[in-house]
Amino acid sequence: MKLRLRLALTAVAVTVPAVFALVQVEHSVRRRTTDEVIIASTMSQMQSGGRERCEAAPETWMVRSRAQRPPWEREGLPDGNGGPPSNTPRPNDEGPPKLGARGPLGRRLPPVSLYPFDGQFVSRNPQAPAMDEELRKGVQDDGVGVRRYSKADGALVQDLLLRMPWEGGPCEYVLARRVEPAESPEVGLPPLYIWGVPTFILLSAMVVALGPVVQRLRRLTEEVRASSGSGYEQPVTVNGSDEIAELARAFQQARAEIQARMAHQQAREQTLRDFLANTTHDVMTPLTVLQGHLAAMQQRMRAGEPLESGLMLSAMSEAHYMASLVHNLGAAARLEAGAPQVQHAPVDLNALVSRVLGRHQPIARPQRIALESGVPATPTWVMGDETLLEQAVSNVVLNSIRYGREDGHVAVVLESTRQQGFNLRVIDDGPGISEEDRSRILERRFRGNEARTREPQGQGLGLHIVHNVVELHGWKMTLAPSEYGGLEVAFTGPLMPPPG
Amino acid sequence: MGDRILLVEDDDPLGSQIVGHLRGAGFEPVWWREGRLLVAGDLPDVSLVVLDLMLPGTYGLDMLKALRTFSEVPVLILSARNDTLDKVRALKLGADDYMTKPFWPEELVERVRARLRRPTLQKEQAVVEVGPLRIDLQGHTVQVQGRPVELTRVEFELLAALARRPQEAVTRQWLVEHVLDPEREGTERTLDVHVSRLRRKLGPVKCVETVWGVGYRLVPGEDA
Repeated sequence: MKLRLRLALTAVAVTVPAVFALVQVEHSVRRRTTDEVIIASTMSQMQSGGRERCEAAPETWMVRSRAQRPPWEREGLPDGNGGPPSNTPRPNDEGPPKLGARGPLGRRLPPVSLYPFDGQFVSRNPQAPAMDEELRKGVQDDGVGVRRYSKADGALVQDLLLRMPWEGGPCEYVLARRVEPAESPEVGLPPLYIWGVPTFILLSAMVVALGPVVQRLRRLTEEVRASSGSGYEQPVTVNGSDEIAELARAFQQARAEIQARMAHQQAREQTLRDFLANTTHDVMTPLTVLQGHLAAMQQRMRAGEPLESGLMLSAMSEAHYMASLVHNLGAAARLEAGAPQVQHAPVDLNALVSRVLGRHQPIARPQRIALESGVPATPTWVMGDETLLEQAVSNVVLNSIRYGREDGHVAVVLESTRQQGFNLRVIDDGPGISEEDRSRILERRFRGNEARTREPQGQGLGLHIVHNVVELHGWKMTLAPSEYGGLEVAFTGPLMPPPG
Repeated sequence: MGDRILLVEDDDPLGSQIVGHLRGAGFEPVWWREGRLLVAGDLPDVSLVVLDLMLPGTYGLDMLKALRTFSEVPVLILSARNDTLDKVRALKLGADDYMTKPFWPEELVERVRARLRRPTLQKEQAVVEVGPLRIDLQGHTVQVQGRPVELTRVEFELLAALARRPQEAVTRQWLVEHVLDPEREGTERTLDVHVSRLRRKLGPVKCVETVWGVGYRLVPGEDA
């Protein structure tokens, strides 16, 4: 529903019952006042000679009093008017009340007729209205019986049965009757121009005042639509400090938020695309080398030449590197995803070292590199993500093997320290890494493509992962020249607290 | 014939390769091409199970769970997924070890051997025999080829420490901390001196091997 229509309907829905209730209240007040006026005037009339006249001729006694005005306009008490009723009405009684100089509220009350009743509620006057239980009960209980009803032509009849301050006689009770013609303003709603005009003016004012508001809302709606259509590039105008401006401001904030998220998402997607492209490249390169080796071997076999062990070794090495690379890519993806992807469970470093050695021994042996390990006699438990930790240690060991010299050595030494910690060292006698490169590896956060090259010294994705895993587990990593001339990579960290 | 090993592997080339390598290493493999929900009695008499986690029909973990309800046979898991959660779950369900694909055949055979060897290693033996060496850990006596050898206390402790973990390298630091007299400020140099004395006393048999970068190891040795 449109705003204006809704407002207009609400106003009508509130105004109509309110007006109706007010009219009801006004009627009831007026009725009560009228009752009191009639009672007072009837009493005074009967006491100032009315009784005598009534009792003298109860068969014909009946009074038609002059029309009375409401008490708030009356100058004095109504005239006692008695005597046998005449059929010629007095000038005061004739015609509908005039709406003259007194204005709409200054109209006169219609005339009141009085009829006598005796103690048995029987009237000697044949013109007297019929008596009923309601009136009798009212006069016996409260001293005044009241009856109101509408005639068929819409006129309102008001009967008041009064007990006179004397006992017996044909005029013990007096019934005062007043008939309000149907067209009288006391019946139904007050005239339309009294309440209709202000209501109409109010409604029009509201609808007109709403115009600019609706206009601004429409403009804002259009701007928001245009903004969303442009990928939230286009801003909306904010002016003023009212609720609509507030709404516009809120949208501006939402727009900024959405833009930030979209930018973030796009950056992530770009990273992912780069990652995928580079990964493909990284896997394809060793795969190409491997295919080349296999093809060469096949050619040699066909030619009946003996297989060269170097070729075979190189092929194995490429396959091994590829497996490691894919593991590293998986690890990188998990590290990128952050904490929820990282497990936190007890890991036995002894078993981990043994697995790492088992994995790389088949590559180290043909290269004539002695791969050895030393671990404590009892399991060395730490908390962490087994796959990531194994991958980290594995990367360091594989680096040492790949860049080790023939007849060289690589050793993995695991020791527990006295301070509830462990010390895991990977030592080699290979070419080592220069001071400059060592600090670079530790200080620099490898990101994106920089971390992915195989050179120099293979500190590419592999060492990037080592660095991240160590950081993630709160461990420390140091790189130093080993006492045998090569490189020594040391990991230190806390042991798992003993259970219980 | 060697130990019987049950291999559960759905991939044909990989399965036949593993079977070949196990047979080459002296084992007797039994190959199932699909997972089965085992109940007691279904399992053939095998010393070890090699189980691939990704199986059609029955998921490897379910099979492991069912197996563990009635059998304590060692289980070695093969997993293609580089996911720790899977491994943790498998180990919780009672797997003894796992291997991540790809692996070298040599690596697998090594792991199978290690797993089969384990139970005998766990017992603390009173007498250890390594090659020509016979070390009585309680009687504190050592014989080489039946000939008794006199050792100092430190030399004996050194040999005993290596003998308790035969074929394994023991780090120098550990030996310095646990074997040398703590009151005499032992260093690795001191340790090396003791080792060379011990070697001389053990004669021509080269049982105490230096492990590069790590420490020492007791091996059966070969006659010089």
